[in-house]
Amino acid sequence: MAARTLRPLILICDDELPLRELVKAVLGDGYRYVEAEDVEQAQEVLKESKPEAIVLDVMLPGKSGLEFLSELRAKRRNKEIPVVVVSAWQSADDQRTALSAGADAFVGKPFDPKDLASVIEALIAA
Amino acid sequence: MIAVSALGAAAIGATLALFFVANARLKSANTESARAATVSAAAFDVRAAVVSIDVALQQVVEEYNPKSLAQWRRASRSWEGPAAALERAASASNDRQERRAHALRAEIRSYIDDYGEPVVGIAKVSPSAVRSSVAHTEGNIRLDQIVTDTDSVARNSAVIAADRSAAAGRLADQATIAGIVALVLTPVLLILLGLWLARVVADPLRQTVAAASEVAAGNFDVRLNERRRDEFGELAHVFNTMTESLAVSRSELIERADSLERSERHKSELISMVSHEVRTPLASVLGFTRLLLERDLPEEDRRRYLGIVDAEATRLAALVSDFLDARLIEEGRFSLRREPFDLRSLVREQAEVTLGHDENHELELELPDEPLQIDGDRARLAQVVGNVLSNAVKYSPEGGTITVGAAEDQGHARVWIADEGTGIPPEHRGQLFQPFYRGDAAAAGIPGTGLGLAVSRRIVEAHEGRIGFDPLDRGTCFWFDLPLEAAAANGGR
Repeated sequence: MAARTLRPLILICDDELPLRELVKAVLGDGYRYVEAEDVEQAQEVLKESKPEAIVLDVMLPGKSGLEFLSELRAKRRNKEIPVVVVSAWQSADDQRTALSAGADAFVGKPFDPKDLASVIEALIAA
Repeated sequence: MIAVSALGAAAIGATLALFFVANARLKSANTESARAATVSAAAFDVRAAVVSIDVALQQVVEEYNPKSLAQWRRASRSWEGPAAALERAASASNDRQERRAHALRAEIRSYIDDYGEPVVGIAKVSPSAVRSSVAHTEGNIRLDQIVTDTDSVARNSAVIAADRSAAAGRLADQATIAGIVALVLTPVLLILLGLWLARVVADPLRQTVAAASEVAAGNFDVRLNERRRDEFGELAHVFNTMTESLAVSRSELIERADSLERSERHKSELISMVSHEVRTPLASVLGFTRLLLERDLPEEDRRRYLGIVDAEATRLAALVSDFLDARLIEEGRFSLRREPFDLRSLVREQAEVTLGHDENHELELELPDEPLQIDGDRARLAQVVGNVLSNAVKYSPEGGTITVGAAEDQGHARVWIADEGTGIPPEHRGQLFQPFYRGDAAAAGIPGTGLGLAVSRRIVEAHEGRIGFDPLDRGTCFWFDLPLEAAAANGGR
């Protein structure tokens, strides 16, 4: 089962369990998933593994998703990992803030499953 | 300055008075001169009359006949007119002159009666006897005396007139000097008066104009000096009162505008917060529905996804009704369903529901052994405890202990919930219970509507209770008091 071990790893960081479930259901069996409820857990995950992409919520308990993103981009390690910010805050301002913090893509909540899937596919392929 | 002006006015007045006095004196001196002339003329007439008396007497002595006798008779009466005129003129000068004139008249009469008439009588019987030198000498002495006295009256009048004239002249000189001084002094005084008026009237006017311009330019801190006890002091007082009331009105307007602006900002924050809170469950509902519609999923996954959709849709419905409910309570449009119950058990339940599964926070319960019976709406009070507890959790994202307690306190039941969180900055403390007020929460990314504490206060106050908070060294302690059942019953519902 060599092909199985090669499936890309995706980190889903969202404090809402249904949303994490939704992302997994949308992206399907083609990926492996690791989940985090807040920034602290996401940082723990990054110590042990190197995901191919991160799906990141903005409003998290404690540190916000964007703070985590800025810190990630500032470090040497893992700074190249593509990040999709998924947020219910989706005004033009919010999108601009996310992109300037280092996001590769922005998807607003609620989203069309196909949109999220194609964004992730495109980022991993690149 | 008023004293100087008064002095100037007095000097000018004195000068004018001096002029009037000098003028009067000059007039009186003129009158005196005219009188002296009259006296002199009268004295001359008297002298002439006396000479003609002497001549007539000599005639009688030389040749006693009817003709010389008739001349004597005429002469001895003709002096009376001029003598009376002299006495009238002399009496106008002074008493001494009058006495002199009077004495002169008596002298002449005495000369006629005591010397003239006896000589005429003797001349009738013995003409040679009257021609003797003794009688003649006696007549001459008397006559000389009369002439001397007549001259003396005239001379004294002239002296008096000259004295008056000299005094009037001196006074006129003084008046002239005073006039010159006044002439020089008047413009100086006028200039000083002008300067003084400028200081007294123009300066305060200028200051008032400057202050009014400042106020017009929007500076309401400007004040005029109210110390003066005249109309300008009054004006300054009225001006200051006006400026103060303008400043108050303006700050009230600014405050109102600020409050409107704050309220608008809160509302727009609320709208974006509500849309966020709604979108999160909506994302699950829509996402899973799409998946179910578009993909052919195994039965197991279908059921699980439908379960999530159901739960999220229920959450959405609860969110909307909570929000509407909060609005109704916040606007005071709600009623209480009161029943007696144990507040202690409600606090324990809520604490366990909220914090039972929270791994981030540690719960410390401080509950009494005896029940806390109150008469109230259990569901609404559960909402209050739930609101304050969820705030304690939300505003202590780093975790820590949350202390939840209840106790009896002076006829009241007190409930407290203390966290070890970020605390409330002093600038937000006054407005914490205002609807939609969230302080820095929106900026810090802490979710909420800003209605929780406003609603809690409404509910607690509807129970005749009080709600408040005390800042702690670390975190905040919220509390509320409710009347115990006995106290509520005594309150007479």
